[in-house]
Parts: sequence; structure tokens; C-alpha cells
Amino acid sequence: MGEVLIKAEGVSKKFAKDLKKSLYYGVLDLVNGVTGKEQVRDLRKDEFWAVRDLSFEVKRGECLGLIGHNGAGKSTLLKILNGLISPDEGTITMKGKIGALIELGAGFNPILTGRENIYNNAAVIGFSKSDIDANLDTIIAFSELEDFIDMPVQNYSSGMKVRLGFAVAAQMQPDILLIDEVLAVGDLGFILKCFKKIDQLLPNTAFIFVSHTMPMVARICNQIILMDHGKMEYQGFDIAVGIGKYYNKFTTSENSVMFDDGQLELSSFYLNTDDTNTIQQKQNLEIELNFKIKNTDLHTIPSLYLEFRDKEQRPVAGAIIKELKKEIQGDTLRFKITVKNLLFSLGFYSIDLGVLDPSTKSPILRINNMVSFKVQSETQLWVPIELETEYTVE
Amino acid sequence: METRVYSNNNKYSIKDIVLSSIKGFKSSFYLAKQLAKRDVKAQYRQSVLGILWAILPVVINAFVWILLQSSGAVKLTATAVPYPLFVLVGTTIWAIFGESLTMSITTVNANKNIITKINFEKEALITLGFIKLVFNLLIKFGLIIVFMLYFQVMPSSSFLYFIPLLLVTMLFFVSVGILITPLGVLYGDISRLIPIALQFLMYVTPVLYVMPKDGFLKTIMYYNPLTYFITDLRSTLTGLPVEHWYFWIITFVVTLFLALLAMVVYRVSMPILTERMSS
Repeated sequence: MGEVLIKAEGVSKKFAKDLKKSLYYGVLDLVNGVTGKEQVRDLRKDEFWAVRDLSFEVKRGECLGLIGHNGAGKSTLLKILNGLISPDEGTITMKGKIGALIELGAGFNPILTGRENIYNNAAVIGFSKSDIDANLDTIIAFSELEDFIDMPVQNYSSGMKVRLGFAVAAQMQPDILLIDEVLAVGDLGFILKCFKKIDQLLPNTAFIFVSHTMPMVARICNQIILMDHGKMEYQGFDIAVGIGKYYNKFTTSENSVMFDDGQLELSSFYLNTDDTNTIQQKQNLEIELNFKIKNTDLHTIPSLYLEFRDKEQRPVAGAIIKELKKEIQGDTLRFKITVKNLLFSLGFYSIDLGVLDPSTKSPILRINNMVSFKVQSETQLWVPIELETEYTVE
Repeated sequence: METRVYSNNNKYSIKDIVLSSIKGFKSSFYLAKQLAKRDVKAQYRQSVLGILWAILPVVINAFVWILLQSSGAVKLTATAVPYPLFVLVGTTIWAIFGESLTMSITTVNANKNIITKINFEKEALITLGFIKLVFNLLIKFGLIIVFMLYFQVMPSSSFLYFIPLLLVTMLFFVSVGILITPLGVLYGDISRLIPIALQFLMYVTPVLYVMPKDGFLKTIMYYNPLTYFITDLRSTLTGLPVEHWYFWIITFVVTLFLALLAMVVYRVSMPILTERMSS
């Protein structure tokens, strides 16, 4: 770990909600700015704190993950760090060359070719002509767009534009690197390539990473700040805790009935999670489902399919509950299901429920996002399943 | 290692700002050149007539007045040089006033997407606008030279003053333009108002006709400083002597002051404007 390259002390920034007010305050700020008068410190009418009293330090070789819901103030903070706008309170000290990937491909003109736009983009992010000439082949090779490099950029897909933009930006040798959710557009191969590049830069760089993709944050960051309405809700070196708090914000999503043929109704369900809707990893997950039978045509016990999805809505696991050809007694059904030794890694998961007729396999009821819960674990993984292992070391 | 400190402290010394502004102009020269190349290339690649578009508005405007004058629909005082040349030079110079004035607002607005995303020396945008301005100028002067050859008008020794006087004029209007840029970027009214105001001003300035010997219009033109800009600039191109040296000396001093002020205002106001720009 090297010297402190980024230091923020009590940084705040306010914005006006109303456009006309914002413009008017802009005029006042301009007059005060030019005449060198003190700016107004307090909130004026219709203003709010977009960033409120943030303090942190990032050393060379460290990576700070900045997470929070949309509009939490992450991008504003990044703009302040990048020197685009000045803070209303507090001080930021940045040492060394700053590379900012807030937008890839800035300065592109759609009519010009990829090759010409390499020069435009590189000049905008601070390269000299000789730098660009020297790196041109590397940039084109990195972007893997050799065949299309003399085609107008307006015919590129958004992924291709991002490729080209990142290829240019990757030639920077910054001391400080700021990245705002820009890599999301590329395909998998490209994202992996980006991370390889970032891994190369990381030891010599102080790095701030804004992302909504928690596994990525977990993979590269060693420090985390969770923002909510401009304020710091969690700050620390325990990535798992920060991400856990972030996931907590989303555990109250609504379920949606996707299909219902009227034979069954899910009257209640129960999960053995604690008050905060959390279950420890490697415990048994117990699910109880109570159904009410509304139609007497249903004679055999239906089969169930449970599908587990992670926060990005990727299906990660499934379970089939099948009781073959048993007669239904009475007008209620109670399923008690135990998922043994839950192997999910730290994160937020939801369950989709499917109820099927066992003989015809036709659907009876399907509820997406029936329930969601959080898994707590000591470790934070990039993948959703943490396998249980036995091993010996010799 | 380079250290930057960002804070809300807006006490600044004029000297520091001017120095960092000069540094900004210097270090961003390549960027400005590259962006100018980008804009010019892109502008003409998607067009058949290409650079003709730079002179077409001036030509059309001049043509209308040539038609009005030659058909006798409008009675104008005789001009010292052939009327078509008089009008063409006049409207060209008038166009330079307007382009210089709106240059910085136009350039800043056109590059909002990089201003809000990338930290670069914003002085690059002024250089960029200036390069494009000069590029368009050269095309227009090419046309004027063709006209001069056709009418066999030879410039005299006063032609030597053309470039210095033109530079002072451009610097004057660019500086005024930069000073209104902060307001113009915040409120769309300014950039709508300028063309209308210029159109009106053109008729109270001897652009299309010489200053009348007497009457109401003479008084207005006499007190209108634009009169002296345009008269003398036209004289240098058409072989007539420069008449208003006092005016130019005062203008030169005023321009230097305005340019310095513009540098400071531009640099101080840019972060405040960035906040309120949509990308």
C-alpha cells in the first residue's frame, strides 16, 4: 500500500430540483464566483444535498467501491473528484494523473471513421499526437475492431463504441482511476478483458469504482462506501457488510402472479429467515407453502418447481417437489420443504414458484418473485454458489 | 507529483487565473486542433456542396442587394468601389462580427457532452472556435479576391493594416461573446436574441450602403461604433485609406482589457456552468 492519492474531507454538493431556480442560482453563483464573494452555504429554496459530508481516503493500490441506488449521489461525487464541478463544502486533494472513465468514447463524431475517432477521443482525454501515433496499433488491436476501423462510427453497435472507447482509455497510465458503470454494455469477452487490464493497473493506482454489479465490486474493491440520498450509509473495509446493507434495501419487492388457472390459491407461506429477512449460509432453508384448493376437479397432489434467482435475476438453482399420484384429502395443501445446507453466497435471492399438474405437466399456478431473502456469509464471492469442500494439504 | 485541490474557496487572484488560463490555452492546443479537424471533416463529409456552404449565405445576401440596386428599386448613394464588391465585402465583414460574437456560446453548447464528462482545459473550446472561424474566413476571402480581380480593384498600402485591424476586431467580438457566454449557456434567450439584434444593427451600420450625408440615419451611424469597424476594414480591402485611427487605438486598449476579463470570467464560470448543463 502506497501513499494517499485521494483524500476527501467533508465534501458536500447541493443541487436545485427546479430548473428555473437552478438557472437563477447559477446566475447568482456566477456573479459571486467572478466577484470573489462568499457562496451561500445553506440550502436555498428547492435545493437539496446531492452529496453530504463525505470523507474518505484512497491509497495507491487500493480500490474504493461506491455503491447505492440510482440517484444516491455516486456520479455527482465522481464528477467532483474529476474536477468537473466544485464542492460546495469540504476539500478534495488528488495527487497524480487522473484517468476518468465516466464516459467512454467522449468526443466521437458519428460520421467519422473509427480510426479518426481514436484521435478525437484520445485528444479529449489528454493524449498528445505522438502518444496516439505510437499507440494506434495497440489501441486497434485491443478493441478487436480491425475489420471495421475505417467504417463510420455511426454504424457501430453500442458495444463496439464502448470497445473502441475503452481501448483508447486503456492506454492511460493514471495514478488515479475513476470508473462509472461504463463497462456494462460490452459482451462477456470484452468485460473480462477490461478486468484483466484493470487488474494490471490496480497495484499502481488509487481506484474508485462505481457499479451496480455487486460481484464485480466484491472482486476488485477492498474498501466500500454505500450511499443513500447523498449521505454515507456505510463506509469501511468489510466489503461483505457494505454489500449486505445494499441488498437489504431491495428485499421488499412485490411478487407477481404470472399464471393462474383458478384451481389453487397460495394462501400463505413461511421462510425460516430472521427479522431482517436473512438466513445464514450453510443452514437449512425451510419453506412452508399453504395452498387452498378452489376447484374440486383437482384430485392428485400437484408438483412444485422452485427456481432461485440472484439479484441480477439470473436463475441460479432449482428444486423439484414431486409427490406421485397421491390423492388430495380435504381442501387445503401444506408443503413443508427443506433446502439442506444452503450453499448460496452472500447476496440477495428470490424464489419463483411453479405449480404443475404431475401427469399432464400443464401449469396450474406460477408466481414470480414469490419471496425474497438474503443470505449472510463471512465471505463475499463473485459467483452465487459457494461449494462446500473437503481437502487435505500436504 | 501534480496535486490538485478542489474546494468551495472562491477567493482567487486575477493573476493566478490569467496565468492558468494561458497555460490552459497552451496545453490544449493539440486538442483544439484535433477537434477543429473533426468538426470540419464531419461538416463537409456529409455534404455535396461542401465548402460552398461557408459562402452561400453571404453571396445570397449580397446578390439580393446587388439586384435591388441595379434594378433601381432602391436608390443608393454611389460607392467609391463597384457596388457588388462594396456589398460583398460589407456583408462578409458583418458576418465575421456575428460569427465572432456567437462563437463561444456555439462551441460550448456543441461540446456539452464532453464538458460534462471529461476534465480538460476548457480554453481548448475557444481555440477550437477560433480555428473554425479563421477557416471559414479564408474561404470567404477567397471569394472576395475573385471579385477584386474581376472588378480590377487594386488594394493600396492600407492593405497592410487589414490583418492587424481584423484581428483586433475579431478579438473584440470574441471577448464580448465570451463575456455573455455564461448567461447564454444558462438561458437560451441570448443565442436567440443575437441574430435578431444583428439583423437590426446591420441596417443602422454602413454595411449595404455608405453613410448618408445628413439626416436621422447619419446621426445614428455616426454614434454607432460598428460604423468605424466596418468602414475602415472595407477600406483596407478596397484600396482606400484607414480614416479613424483614434478609434482603433481606443478599441485596441478596450479589447485588451475585455480579453483579459473574458479569460477570467470564462475560467471561473466554467465549473458553475458544468453543473447546470445537460449532457
